[in-house]
Amino acid sequence: MKLLNISYEKYKLDNGLEVILHQNKNLPMVAVNIWYKVGSAQEVKGKTGIAHLFEHMMFQGSENVAKEMHFRYIQEAGGTLNGSTSFDRTNYYEKGPSNFLEVALWLESDRMGYLLPALDQDKLDNQKDVVYNERLERYDNQPYGLAWELLITNLYDKSHPYSWSTIGFADDIKNYTLADVKNFFRTYYAPNNATLVIAGDFKRDKAVSFVEKYFADIKNAQIVVPLKISNGKLTQNKIIRHKDNVQLERIYLSWLSDKAYGKDDAALDILSDLLTGSKNSRLYKTLVFEKEIAQDVTAFQFSGKYGGHFTIVATVKPGKSIDEIKTKIFNIISDLIKNGISSKELEKSKTGIKSSFIFSLQNLDSLADHLNSYNFYLNEPNSFSYDLERYNKVEEEDIIHVTDKYLSNPYIELRVVPKDNES
Amino acid sequence: MKFDRSKKPSITSKLIFKMPSHDKFVLKNNLDVYFIKKDVLPIIKINIIIYAGSKFEQPGKKGISNLLTMCIDEGAGEFDSLQLSEQFDLLGVQFSVSGNNDTIQLTLQTLKENFGKALELIGKILISPHFDEKDFKREKRKILTSLKQLKDDPDYLASTSFKSLLFGKRNPYSFPFLGLEKDINSITNKEVVSYYQNYIFPNNSFIVIVGDISNKELRENLDKYVSSWKTGNFDAQFKSTDKSDEKVVYIVDKKDSVQTEIRTGHHAAKRNSKDYFPKHLLNTILGGQFSSRINLNLREKQGYTYGAGSSYNYFKDSAYFSVSTSVGIENSANALNEIFKELNKIRDGVTEEELKFAKSSIVRKFPLSFETNSQVTSNFIGKVIYDLPDDYFDSYINNINSVTIEDVNKAAQESIFPELATTVLVGDKEKLIPQLEGKDFGKVEVINNF
Repeated sequence: MKLLNISYEKYKLDNGLEVILHQNKNLPMVAVNIWYKVGSAQEVKGKTGIAHLFEHMMFQGSENVAKEMHFRYIQEAGGTLNGSTSFDRTNYYEKGPSNFLEVALWLESDRMGYLLPALDQDKLDNQKDVVYNERLERYDNQPYGLAWELLITNLYDKSHPYSWSTIGFADDIKNYTLADVKNFFRTYYAPNNATLVIAGDFKRDKAVSFVEKYFADIKNAQIVVPLKISNGKLTQNKIIRHKDNVQLERIYLSWLSDKAYGKDDAALDILSDLLTGSKNSRLYKTLVFEKEIAQDVTAFQFSGKYGGHFTIVATVKPGKSIDEIKTKIFNIISDLIKNGISSKELEKSKTGIKSSFIFSLQNLDSLADHLNSYNFYLNEPNSFSYDLERYNKVEEEDIIHVTDKYLSNPYIELRVVPKDNES
Repeated sequence: MKFDRSKKPSITSKLIFKMPSHDKFVLKNNLDVYFIKKDVLPIIKINIIIYAGSKFEQPGKKGISNLLTMCIDEGAGEFDSLQLSEQFDLLGVQFSVSGNNDTIQLTLQTLKENFGKALELIGKILISPHFDEKDFKREKRKILTSLKQLKDDPDYLASTSFKSLLFGKRNPYSFPFLGLEKDINSITNKEVVSYYQNYIFPNNSFIVIVGDISNKELRENLDKYVSSWKTGNFDAQFKSTDKSDEKVVYIVDKKDSVQTEIRTGHHAAKRNSKDYFPKHLLNTILGGQFSSRINLNLREKQGYTYGAGSSYNYFKDSAYFSVSTSVGIENSANALNEIFKELNKIRDGVTEEELKFAKSSIVRKFPLSFETNSQVTSNFIGKVIYDLPDDYFDSYINNINSVTIEDVNKAAQESIFPELATTVLVGDKEKLIPQLEGKDFGKVEVINNF
């Protein structure tokens, strides 16, 4: 599809910084998006969460940018900004009117090259408090908020870097030292470990010269040795019960699956849609619509560079049986493996996926982030068509095959139950 | 190339941004249509807004409008519930029905090529919904379970209890759109149908369409699929009696919480009041963005929270100001103390520098709020609902730029009242009560089961 063919230019500075430019003149705005190839997967035991804490420190000012001024300069220029940390990478992004490009690049370059002189104990202590509160707000004080952590810590082998969550364990958050944080910067924050995307309405030559001006003098670092991952297998089912401040029970079933862009990844995505993506999807229709034994049901394929897992989550209706839901889920999976799916079901999923690809192009930040993501995982920023084609190529037999291949394996079963419920 | 890194690059070039123009016309059934052409992508967004939100519900029937939104797409025309949903799936259309205190909205996003078929389905939903008893019963059980679940959600508890306590039981805006459990139990399918028959009319609605379609094609499709939706008579009256503000702290007890959700605030003037622009600048300085006073203090200085902010929140016929944050439970009183300090301090006035920063941020960011079809749609919906002037968007930047520091300081005096703030703390009362002793946040009342 022509629409999904995104033109770009990619080059490298002498210090190793990779640059991707994409011109898009629809509106007078520009997006800047940097991926550092470091996420929580690079952390070590006892210091979990440091990649995410570090993301916070990147907003605390640098040698030429006083505390609080990073946000202020972007906002003054009419921009919006944020960052995020995942298992695989940390990204920083801002979007603003076209004339804010130089300010954005100046700020990004200053914290890429000159963060350490401005990093001190007060800033660290403050952001440790902030991140600790973030953990309370988004995990500990949320109903079912600890489920993700409980799942991945049990699902992945203890030596696998996805066996802890990006927010980090509470005790670890309290214990990072200034030296830890500085070392982390020296090891991972360097031009040769980053890719800069500029997307939107800008003059090409001007952008190239800004990038040269602000980034060329930043020193590269020793290349970090890539992680060696051994994907351990789950050898038997594991059942975990967790008591939480909730009214309704919830069951999570999780299997190790394929990694991002692995050969089964797209089929597993489609499988999740076939199971729970619509009213007519198999699990939703039976559990929620017809039997009304579940209040909701969701399935998803999570996949990253080093691994993935497929998960089904259902909330138990008051007075209904969690065991009945579990039995039904497994019956529906067996039926799918035995009898397959209809071509209409598959067609509906593919149509939905195609539409959402096109809908997603509206947003310049998300476009810029996609270019970086495709570049990171596939080494080709213009992979929208390739990506969509992965889904188009999936056939009915592929769905049966991946369901059998992964969902017949041992799994983690997590039951979150109300605190006062002793059942 | 040597240069001075310590100098921030200046922004010199002016930006040229052309507001998307809109076309307004009326269908023969009196449905107002707002159309904004945007053809960078072959997609179209359709929003139908109906003035049938929960504020029109009778006492004892709180939850009926939400049940209507849940049931209206459970079968229509020749399709039953599952078939209708499948029709949308086959087109790759994203469709949803939602609502709030003022309105009910049907929202749809489609590829250009499926516009006609998508509109035809929306037409069926508006004109011939089934309201099957069986579907109603299922949806009713679903919402009753949702309400039970929401008792676990500290954010939802804080927002709904704050609104309820601020507005008082005599004001329809005080009730959550999702309704009250005891009322929902007694609502019948018949009553939902009669709510539909009383309010769901084209002359009580408007439609906003943004995307890649010609005016001609749009009109043809609207004529074909929506114009047979029948005009009717409705009673749009509702009584809104604002409870007077008073300084009280309500503790909504949630045992074993590790955080406290804080909301504090008071009533405010309506969206289309004259001092909107000074207030918008004032709030940008006080708590509207990351670099605002409240967040810099509570997050970046004290480390009490992941984030804190303030906002003026607008209904069609009422409004309120509120500060919200969530903090580690041991810092609840400390955080509240800092919030009140900031509210008192801003009444002493803002600085020229703060105002310049706020203006710059708002004015330069303006074009970004017209990027996606959803953003354009929601801007136009706001303009219609709040009855803003025709040239609202064209004069927006001028209106911001012409606000003086005196205007902002006057707004601070006239629209921030810490001495009349209603405060809600959702958290563990055993840990909260001792912290509040001897503090001047207002008299303390405990609510054990909201």
